[in-house]
Amino acid sequence: MRKQTFSGILGVLAALVIGGVVLALQKFNPFSTYGALLQYSLLSASGLSAMLSRAVPLVLTGLSASIAFGSGLNNLGQPGQLVIGALGATVVGLFVPLPAVALIPVCIAAAMVGGMLWSGLAAGLRRAFAMDEFIVTLMLNFIADYFALWAITYPLFDPAALSPMTRPIRTYAWLSEVGGINASVLYMVVATVLCWLLMSKGVSGYEWRIMGQNRLFARIGGCRVDAHYVRVMLVTGALAGLAGGLMVMGGPHRFVKGLGANYAWDGVMIAVVANNSIPGTFFYGLLFSMLQQGAIGMELVTAVPSEFIDVLQAIIVLVVVAGRVSLNLMFDRIATRKKLRESLQ
Amino acid sequence: MNSVLIDLQHISKVFPPATVALSDVSVSFRSGEIHALVGENGAGKTTLMKVLYGLERRDRGDILLRGTHVDFRNPREAIAAGIGMVHQEILLIPEYTIWQNVVLGAEPVHALGALDIRTARERVARKIDEFQFNLDPDAPVGSISVAARQKVEILKLLYRDVSVLILDEPTAVLAPQEVGQLFLELQHLRDKGHTIIFISHRLDEVLGLSDQVTVMRRGKAVATSPASRLTKEELARQMVGRSVVFAAERSPAEPGEPVLVAQGLTVRTTDGRDALDQVSLQVRSGEILGVAGVEGNGQFELVNAIMGLSTIAAGSLFVQGIDLSHADILTRRRFISFVPQDRGRMGASLPASILENAIMTHHILDRSFRRWRGLALNYRRAIALTRQIQHQFDVSMENAAAPFQSLSGGNQQKVILGRELLLEAPLVLMDQPTRGLDVGSTEYVHGLLLDLRNRKKAVLLVSADLDEVFTVADRIIVMSRGQLVADLRTEETTREEVGYYMLGGKDAVHAQADI
Repeated sequence: MRKQTFSGILGVLAALVIGGVVLALQKFNPFSTYGALLQYSLLSASGLSAMLSRAVPLVLTGLSASIAFGSGLNNLGQPGQLVIGALGATVVGLFVPLPAVALIPVCIAAAMVGGMLWSGLAAGLRRAFAMDEFIVTLMLNFIADYFALWAITYPLFDPAALSPMTRPIRTYAWLSEVGGINASVLYMVVATVLCWLLMSKGVSGYEWRIMGQNRLFARIGGCRVDAHYVRVMLVTGALAGLAGGLMVMGGPHRFVKGLGANYAWDGVMIAVVANNSIPGTFFYGLLFSMLQQGAIGMELVTAVPSEFIDVLQAIIVLVVVAGRVSLNLMFDRIATRKKLRESLQ
Repeated sequence: MNSVLIDLQHISKVFPPATVALSDVSVSFRSGEIHALVGENGAGKTTLMKVLYGLERRDRGDILLRGTHVDFRNPREAIAAGIGMVHQEILLIPEYTIWQNVVLGAEPVHALGALDIRTARERVARKIDEFQFNLDPDAPVGSISVAARQKVEILKLLYRDVSVLILDEPTAVLAPQEVGQLFLELQHLRDKGHTIIFISHRLDEVLGLSDQVTVMRRGKAVATSPASRLTKEELARQMVGRSVVFAAERSPAEPGEPVLVAQGLTVRTTDGRDALDQVSLQVRSGEILGVAGVEGNGQFELVNAIMGLSTIAAGSLFVQGIDLSHADILTRRRFISFVPQDRGRMGASLPASILENAIMTHHILDRSFRRWRGLALNYRRAIALTRQIQHQFDVSMENAAAPFQSLSGGNQQKVILGRELLLEAPLVLMDQPTRGLDVGSTEYVHGLLLDLRNRKKAVLLVSADLDEVFTVADRIIVMSRGQLVADLRTEETTREEVGYYMLGGKDAVHAQADI
């Protein structure tokens, strides 16, 4: 754990240095570029607020992927589950007449149910026909995308709009700002804490983790691995669905075309960088949203194109993941040499 | 005396991060001798040979072949220099015939590069005659016995004209009669001028076969001496570093009620073969039943059928009168403690912590392992169990949160044994519980087994090691081709009789005729 934190921090710093070299080679000033990045994310109130809102889908889909991968499941359906979750929240927000106290929880529940429906479909296909969730969840992403596009182009289309989008959901379902920070951030933090409790204190988390490491051992030990499979699929689907619901309720308040963007794939990437750790996913999610948010400001004040951030993210992923392995190898090699000397004395 | 052929000087090897496999080992092998390399599991015998053979890199030391420095980067280079190694696992293509397997990778070809079948087959046949191997070059490898496959592996190397043969535990998979046959052939090879390096941890074999014996202990070469000057006791003392008592104290069994009753257990493979064919057996409380047999004759299927890892096609299984024939695994775990043969695959999760491995199954069956309405793990209870296992089963470990794979093999097995035995189930199923353990740990496990018997547990012990079965079992059943072919009382049988049944009766007569 401590070794991982260490190699993570080292990796991010190394990646920033490499990014700086890339900037310098392109004749940009790395210091002012990184300065602008910080200025428009962490260091200004509006930047911070936007950065935290952006972190919501990144962290939640990241948690979904972390828990799935950590339990040995290849759930790669976060993008689709996010879209269906967003659609669920939108439909409830549009058509269910409830007061604010009730409508917000019902919308959130609808988002989670939407995500569960989509991941549950993959789980059901696996149970019934032994279809690998790896390919099924991937394909369901396309179906979700086009289904949502159809829904917002035809039945739910806002006649006043020029491009595919729904009408705004009832204002009762809008998440308010608390001290300049969108309430969706609060839900994200609560979800992270619950996930952490589940995985590190819960009996389920223990069994899921063991299942991810050695499924046969878990099975022989008496864990009900088939039931766990379905549960993990549902929980991780619900997390991705929640991400979609919170995006609608906290942001544009309607389902607009291209809502999911690349958030869920970034989430999958974050889970890989974090090595499926829950706190790691949370922090890398914040880091990536900081970079993405800062990129907008960086483009305003410097000549560096915002695509540079995609490059920087990729460098971070590669350096952290590769660094984790090579750092361990390096520790091993030092230990080996020491041992060799001891044994020959 | 013959000249020194291979000289290993000051070889050291550390496996990352900190496992010293070899520490300053120097051994010389002379040409034309059978040289045994003995030691407990983990003493470094196989690693030393892999270093010579180019399969492992050494960290220090020199290798001299006929006085010149050599450094094989891979087995191909070693074979080219005349050194060949037969590994513990046999790697042949079952669909190919013997001659096809032998020439694979070194085929004679026509001018245009096509396989010269006639020359290839003829050369193999000539080698078989030359070494009197009694093999049919046209038999498919899938249809011949394990002993014959081993001969094919040796033939493969002889075909490539090696003069030095390294054999890694060649007798582990053989019945006693087959061992005799192999030894005759090895002596014949030596008389024709080959040098044979023979890795083993079975003392009788070593003394019977070899000219020179090098004993290894904990990565060091302890001594090299002529076999004629050694006794079994002396060899054991060198291997373990202390005196070893060979006969474990075993009082007569006083079995009670039947605990495990299996009737006509049948397991069918996907291609419709009966991997387990109508096996019926009973284990009573206070009794150890040993299951002997050449590996791959249905023992693993029997274990899987009892544990619920495979579905039985026919038959029934009762433990303490309760029908478990089609019960799920968790239900079975209330009645069965299970120590599987493969620690890393079935017995533990290697990257998980020691604690996480120690509490498996307990955390389901024992309510005190849960808090908050069963949702959360009670880590205090989990630590208590881990400590109990550590003390009661003498595990040397520092931190319960350390990864399981940081423990030595013996300590890993002790954690698994502790976990399973503290379940206090009436039936204990052990599949090769001492495989890969050193002599000390093996003695410990045997002691535990006898203790379980005294505490009136029913024990089913599956073991490929006949010595082990004869040491602890009260009754021995023998499996061959998925069937139970003999049920014998330990006092009233001999290794030869068990070996006879292991070979399925008929083959055994054949093997004896060859000797």
